[in-house]
Amino acid sequence: MKIRMKITKEEEIRFISHLDYTRTIERAVRRAKLSAAYSEGFNPHMKFSFASALAVGVTSSAEYMDLELATDTELATIMRQLRQAFPVGITVKDSQVMIGTVKALMAVVNLATYEMTWLMSDGISEADLQQSLDLFDQEAIAIYVKQTPKGVREIDIKEFVAAPPVLHVEGDKICLQLQLHIKPTGSVKPTDMLELLIHKYQLPAFARAALIERTGLFISNKGRLLTPLEL
Amino acid sequence: MIHLDPAILSRVMKPARYTGHELNSVMKPHETVAVTFALAFPDVYEVGMSYLGYKILYSILNKRTDTAAERVFAPWVDMEQEMRQAKIPLFSHETFTPLAEFDLVGFTLQYEMSYTNILNMLDLGGIPLLTKDRKQGQPFVVAGGPGVYNVEPLADFFDFVIVGEGEEIIEEIVDTYKCWREAGEQGGRKEFLLAVSKISGIYVPSFYDVTYETNGTIHSVSSNEPTAPAIVHKRIVKDLESISYPVKPIVPYTEIVHDRIMLELFRGCTRGCRFCQAGILYRPVRERTVDTLVKIARQQVDATGYNEISLTSLSSADYSKLPELIDRLTAELKDDRVSVSLPSLRIDSFSIELAQKVQQVRKSGLTFAPEAGTQRLRDVINKGVTEENLIEAVGAAFRSGWTSVKLYFMIGLPTETDEDIEGIADLAQRVVKLFSEIRGRRGVKVTVSVSSFVPKAHTAFQWFGQDSLEELERKQHYLRSLIKDKSIAYHYHDARVSVLEGVFARGDRRLGEVLLKAWRAGAKFDSWSEHFHYEIWQQAFIDCKIDPAFYAHRDRDLMEVLPWEYVSPAVTKKYLAKEYREAVAGAFTSDCRTDVCGVCGVCQQLNAAVIDWSDSL
Repeated sequence: MKIRMKITKEEEIRFISHLDYTRTIERAVRRAKLSAAYSEGFNPHMKFSFASALAVGVTSSAEYMDLELATDTELATIMRQLRQAFPVGITVKDSQVMIGTVKALMAVVNLATYEMTWLMSDGISEADLQQSLDLFDQEAIAIYVKQTPKGVREIDIKEFVAAPPVLHVEGDKICLQLQLHIKPTGSVKPTDMLELLIHKYQLPAFARAALIERTGLFISNKGRLLTPLEL
Repeated sequence: MIHLDPAILSRVMKPARYTGHELNSVMKPHETVAVTFALAFPDVYEVGMSYLGYKILYSILNKRTDTAAERVFAPWVDMEQEMRQAKIPLFSHETFTPLAEFDLVGFTLQYEMSYTNILNMLDLGGIPLLTKDRKQGQPFVVAGGPGVYNVEPLADFFDFVIVGEGEEIIEEIVDTYKCWREAGEQGGRKEFLLAVSKISGIYVPSFYDVTYETNGTIHSVSSNEPTAPAIVHKRIVKDLESISYPVKPIVPYTEIVHDRIMLELFRGCTRGCRFCQAGILYRPVRERTVDTLVKIARQQVDATGYNEISLTSLSSADYSKLPELIDRLTAELKDDRVSVSLPSLRIDSFSIELAQKVQQVRKSGLTFAPEAGTQRLRDVINKGVTEENLIEAVGAAFRSGWTSVKLYFMIGLPTETDEDIEGIADLAQRVVKLFSEIRGRRGVKVTVSVSSFVPKAHTAFQWFGQDSLEELERKQHYLRSLIKDKSIAYHYHDARVSVLEGVFARGDRRLGEVLLKAWRAGAKFDSWSEHFHYEIWQQAFIDCKIDPAFYAHRDRDLMEVLPWEYVSPAVTKKYLAKEYREAVAGAFTSDCRTDVCGVCGVCQQLNAAVIDWSDSL
């Protein structure tokens, strides 16, 4: 049987990598004594998969994971055992049994939403921030030059922006909401976009000081957004 | 409590090293306990988290409701820079408490090249480096681990030292500390040191004075406290079945060096290799029972979710009930898909059947350690294996499908000549040829890994002058010139590091100044090649007017007073001297586990005995 879960990556484990996160969940499944299904072959691996890797330093309130079990068990039992086994920083929010042929999460999820928060610096107003964002909105192309270990890569961030960024200011707390496409060819990190906004559109912020959370992963189809659990 | 700014963490490499919260880590509010103990490891998280000794002590200390034990690691250089800039002191990974706020700070001395990291960590933690500068209210700084068997180069930095196995003694220290604390810390730090020095296995360096001869050797070592013992003998746990083993080890989020369950089968090894310090330090052999091991393994798998168990001991294949243990572990853990691995194999205890049962060897190829290239030299070091043993073992491996083997050797062993170097190349070549003979084709991979011999305190070779740097490098290059076959990969270690190890392994108290100088000049992470700066060390020796050759390369007289004689693994000097003579004569000393007692002194002096289950059904 296949189970789809919505889980979190919280503050305490913000700085673990996607590989660390995967390994941590695999060990939790083993501790939970679930009859996980394994691949065949010389080096069998547990059958579970994610929608999209999350960057180091980013928390998430909406990660999705598919787990395959070798024997049928009641969902409530599975979840109770898993909840007990998950370490600090991972919580199950929702789950369901998937029936019939299920397309891999990786193949269907094509949009991510993020929230970036940071503190307003002195002498900066909401209007200053909005002005940068408007400037960005008006652009047809917005090239971000990314330094990678393999060299320099140019990315048109606009290609990935699914909706204009939305700004909320509450007191001295600034929150910027993003909607970014995940394409079969790749995606952009929210930090890449923030860097671009700061350096090219004079957004008055300090990229490293922003706390970023992934707030949702969706299947966007003809203007409709569905979560992987609503499919 | 230290708060780590996400902006800092997002700038450093592998930030998950610093953020704690791992499964099975123990967080106790400090106001609820009487004693706080920091277990500090002088290297990065991934290395320190792989150290079994701290897993054991962490579990024992935290089982006590009156004690909190927490982990501290050396931050990598990028994080150190951030911490110094932001004035963040070194902190623990549980409650993020600054190091200076702990009652006791313990360091483990695993290898000489981590010593500068200890100074750096004390400095980052805001603790005075020298014992004499520490005041009431500051932590006591303690050392344990194999390095205590010559702790003299670090004598100025440690308030006291734990000699031997820590399971029992660590609790006695905590009890003593509690008493002193409850008595209002009467008599100050000195009073506590006096109290703790009465525990068997505790060495307080400041209670001893050393005087020197004009030629630089030691004239005498005398205690300046009437109650301080003349010689501190190690403590051991006489029966491992009587002590608890950590069954809920911490499960790190990020990958560590040994990212698996470590199951300690036994302590000690009495094969008697004459270069091996561990063989002397951890005597006598004491095995756990199969029942206990299977029970521990089950609990650890349930508590961690790890899918691999490593059978760790000095020479795990020597466990008397190994086939039975592997069968029972495999049966017990089959449904959990847990594999069992053996980290090292001895040629003469190697069996293909065994190798096939464990998974590790299949993954990574087989490793053998002939140690020396000729039978003559293997007899000198009492390795007790022959070329035929190696050929048989490797041949069996090739016949069973293995296509790569790794061979470990040492250069610079006592009595070595160029013939012995040539023997290494010949042996590797013979292994290559063996593969073609057996498999009828090419395609074998033989890795020859060569380290430079470092004579260690409390071994038969403790009197032997280490080869000079030039000689070690000449031998390394000579061997390079002899290896021509493309199927042989040749690796060797930086001889400059081996020579420095040689200095500190047999150094005395005067080297404390060199350590300080080198650290002040920027030495740290010396065991990481990218951070090893030999010039810093050369300069430090010059500045302190100390000749490193006096410690590393000088042959010592058997009558000489050795700096490390006052801390003893309970093996007698007489026995070591006899072994040195036997070495030069190429005479074999048998394993007391299976043959007669060689009267090394450990069982007699510690009132202990070998525990081996080979005769039981």
